[in-house]
This record gives sequence, structure tokens and C-alpha cells, in this order.
Amino acid sequence: MIQLFNVVKNYGSGKPALNDVSLKIDKGEFVFLTGPSGAGKTTILKILFGWERFDEGQVLVQGINVGKLDAGNIHTLRRSTGVIFQDYKLLPNKTVFENVAFAQEVTNHDRKKIKFKTWEALKNVGLTPKKDSFPAQLSGGEQQRVAIARAMVNTPPIILADEPTGNLDQEISAEILKLFEEMNQNGATIVFATHSQDILRPGKHRVIVLNRGEVVSS
Amino acid sequence: MNSAVQTLLIGLRTTISNIRANKQTFLISVMTIAISVGILGVFLIVFFNLNGLLASWNQHVQVVVYLGDDISPSQKSDLKDLFKANAKIQSTEEVSKERAWQEFKLQQRDSADLDLGFNPLPASYRIRFNTSENRSLHISEFAEQIRGEPGVESVEYGEKWIVRFEKFMIVCRVFLLGVGVLLSLGLILIVSNTIRLSIYSRQDEIELMLLIGATPRFVKIPFLLEGVLQGLSGSLLSLGLMGAIYIYLKNEFQPSLESIARGMDFQFISQPFLWTLVGLSVLIGFVASYISTYQFMQALNKR
Ligand SMILES: Nc1ncnc2c1ncn2[C@@H]1O[C@H](COP(=O)(O)OP(=O)(O)OP(=O)(O)O)[C@@H](O)[C@H]1O
Ligand SMILES: [Mg+2]
Repeated sequence: MIQLFNVVKNYGSGKPALNDVSLKIDKGEFVFLTGPSGAGKTTILKILFGWERFDEGQVLVQGINVGKLDAGNIHTLRRSTGVIFQDYKLLPNKTVFENVAFAQEVTNHDRKKIKFKTWEALKNVGLTPKKDSFPAQLSGGEQQRVAIARAMVNTPPIILADEPTGNLDQEISAEILKLFEEMNQNGATIVFATHSQDILRPGKHRVIVLNRGEVVSS
Repeated sequence: MNSAVQTLLIGLRTTISNIRANKQTFLISVMTIAISVGILGVFLIVFFNLNGLLASWNQHVQVVVYLGDDISPSQKSDLKDLFKANAKIQSTEEVSKERAWQEFKLQQRDSADLDLGFNPLPASYRIRFNTSENRSLHISEFAEQIRGEPGVESVEYGEKWIVRFEKFMIVCRVFLLGVGVLLSLGLILIVSNTIRLSIYSRQDEIELMLLIGATPRFVKIPFLLEGVLQGLSGSLLSLGLMGAIYIYLKNEFQPSLESIARGMDFQFISQPFLWTLVGLSVLIGFVASYISTYQFMQALNKR
């Protein structure tokens, strides 16, 4: 489902952000991506949905050769991927509801369905009471949950989550983790980047450890 | 509903909210288009009316072939054959010495009792030409050809100034084209700048849209629509206003105009040109917004 072969990524100056990274993640798997700050977690996720290009190696996602995509067809990859960005990327002038609906509007045109699915996703993350608030009126954790709702609303086969519990206390983190596990049980492949040891501790899922752009263990 | 139509409708919603958010730049852009179309429109009106004037003058232009008094019947019939062979000729009219004299006397009514004891006027052919693109050229060619024929004393045709006026109209056409091209280029610059502002005010949103799987086309449509809408509203505004002014002026001044030049009609821009102007503005709006969105997408992809 997801395969990286000897991927090298240089951001320009200095050491490469990814240095000869090879990985294989199976369909329906739930993996944690961990490692210290600057290890390259975000970089890997960005490469997986074609936000960043890479310099060497090959990347396959659902049989798509990511390196061969261009601006004209990259949306095919992105439509099968739900992304939770490390900085959320919520639109400040849209309400919670509109932010979540937005992810469907760009791909799906059925208004009734959009309303229904948005409502459903907000219920899943427990944000229905805040549906008319704007992102600036929410706590960090609430914003994060909006970002999660937006990523899951299209029920994509792959979820890439970049520190989705970074701003949440332990209790809510556990709840959020449960959300991802539910999505996983419904068939989604989950790549979950985190540096929180609390989340990793139960040891239920495979952990890929990165350090300085290299895979330390997987 | 058709999904392409839905995409357009969704795009239109974004377009309208873009316009609301940048009302002032939108209005400035529309005004600029309206003024430019207005300038072009006024030139076109002047051009059409001069053209109409020329056409009505042209109808009266004829070639007069004066014959020598000593022309033989066979020379005459040779000339007639020549006229017949020329497809551009609409009609020929033979004017005898006697008729020429009668007409002359009729014109000089105050000296109707004029009598020289002999007829000084030559016989002639009056020749009218079909209306066609290069009519004046045909006329002058024909005049040159006939001038050397035996039995022909002299050839006179149209007043020279009509030819000059025709040349002037050609210059006018080139001028109009030049003005049109310059205005179009200027408008493309201005409209693409407005669209660029619109795009940048939504930069974050566009980037996010692309990151979550929007097609480039989906992202571009609202801005293309905005450009087209600017072109459409600018030209319609301008032509509507000009039409109203035209109707007012016509009602006010047509009677006095007709007293100056009989049969002269104050014309508006002809329908095909009207639609061409609207179409041109829409095209300009489209091209301008296409350029802006294209540049923006290019810049986005380079990063
Ligand atoms: N846009 C960029 N331009 C230049 N260097 C970058 C860029 N993005 C990341 N880097 C560098 O690449 C390396 C890996 O960064 P990355 O964001 O992938 O780390 P990370 O594991 O996600 O860290 P964190 O836990 O802090 O989010 C770092 O050294 C970082 O400085
Ligand atoms: Mg990161």
C-alpha cells in the first residue's frame, strides 16, 4: 500500500532531511512514526501525499508512483489521503462546520450528502456544539479535532496524521487515539506521527523510529 | 444536475464572495473596461456614420466619357462593346449633344434665352458602377483604359476628393484596429491585476484546496468567472449607456441632421459589432484571468 525505496530528501542546505529511507506499510495497518524533533516525520508524510518532492528513490502509494505525478493529476493521490496537518491549516474565516464541509466541497458536489457527512464527522470528534464557532474561538485541542474531522470526513483509505495529539491532554489524547483506531478498524491505513511516549506505550501498534533522517527501527 | 454545471455554480458562489470582498477593485476594473469600450464605441459610431456618408456619396459617383464630335458609328459601337464587357458596370446612359444642351440650359435657368447659334457641348456616356469593395479602384482603372480609345475626347469621373476620402476611411480602419488592440492590451493588464489581488486574498484557501485534492480546474474556475464577469458587466454597462445617449441624441437632433444632408441617418454601432465588442470584452476578461491563475499555479508548483 505504502512503500518507500531509498528515499533521499534535501531541503537545500546542510544534511539531508531524509537519508536513504526505505519503508513498507501494509494496507489496513496502523503505524506510529516517531523520533525527535527534526527527525523527518513531517517530511515523510508530506512526501506521501505529494506536498514535497524528493530527490532520490521511489515512493509508491496505492500503486501510484508518487514521483511521476504532476500538478495536473496529483489530486488523484490526495483524494485517497486524509491529512491532519501539524499546524491544522484551518481557514480562519470559515466556521467549524464550513471548514469540515470544505474538504468535501472541493471533491464532492452533493450538498445534502455534504451536510450529513459533516455532521457525522463533527459528532465523531465531539464538536457538534461548536459547529458555528470560528477557529480563533476554539482551544488548541478543539482546533485539532476540527482538523481530524476534516481529514476523516471523506473516509479516505489512508490517513496521515502529523502530531494529532500534540496539543491535547492525556485524557483527550486517548480519546483521539481511539478515533483513529476506529477508522483503522473500518479499513483505513493510518500513519500517525508523534513524539509522545504516552501514546506509544501500550504497544498495540507498530512503531517506526526515525532519527536525523534515517530509519532507526521499524 | 450535471456535474460540470455544479462545478460552475460552486465556482460562481466563490466568485461572488470574491467580488464582495474586493468590491472596490472590481468596480475600478469594470469602470476601466466600460470607459475603454466607450472610447472604442464612440470611434466606431463616428466610423460607421462616415462610412454611411461615403456610401451615399458613392452612389452618385459616375464616369462620364465625353465623345469627340467626329466619332464614327463603328468607334461608338466598339466603345459600347467595351462597356458591355466590363462586369463592374451597372448601367450606361447615352447623352446626345442635344440632350446635354437641354440639360445645361435647364441648369442655367436665369439665362434660358441663351443662344450661341451652335452647340458647344459634346455627346457623352454616363456610366454607373456596381457597389463593391474596390469600386473606386475599378472606376479609376476603367477611366484609364477608356481614355486612350479612339473617338474619346476626355474622361471625367467622381470628384477626386471622394477617392481621397476613401483612402482616409482606410486609414480610419487601421487607426480603429490600432486603438482596439492597444486598449485590449491595457485592459488585459488591468483585469489580470485585479484577478491577481483576488487570488492572493485567497492564497491560503487555494493552497489548502489543492492539498486536500481539488483539481487545478476547480481552483481556477472562480477566478476565470470573475474575469469574464468583469468583461461582461463592463461592456454591457458601457454599451447600455451609449445606447441611451444615442437614442436621446437621435430624438433631439435627427430632424435638424436631415435638413443638413438629405437622407442622412445617424447610426449606432451595428449589431454584429455590438456583439463583437461584448465578446471581445468577455474574451479579454477571460484571457486576463487565465494569465493570472496560470502564473499563480506556476509559482505554486515551483515551490
Ligand atoms: N521547508 C523546509 N525548508 C528547509 N528545511 C526544512 C523544511 N522543512 C523541514 N526542514 C528540515 O528538515 C528536517 C526534518 O524536518 P521535519 O519537519 O520533517 O521534522 P519532524 O520530525 O517533523 O520534526 P517535529 O517533531 O519538530 O515536527 C529538519 O532538520 C528541518 O529543519
Ligand atoms: Mg513535524
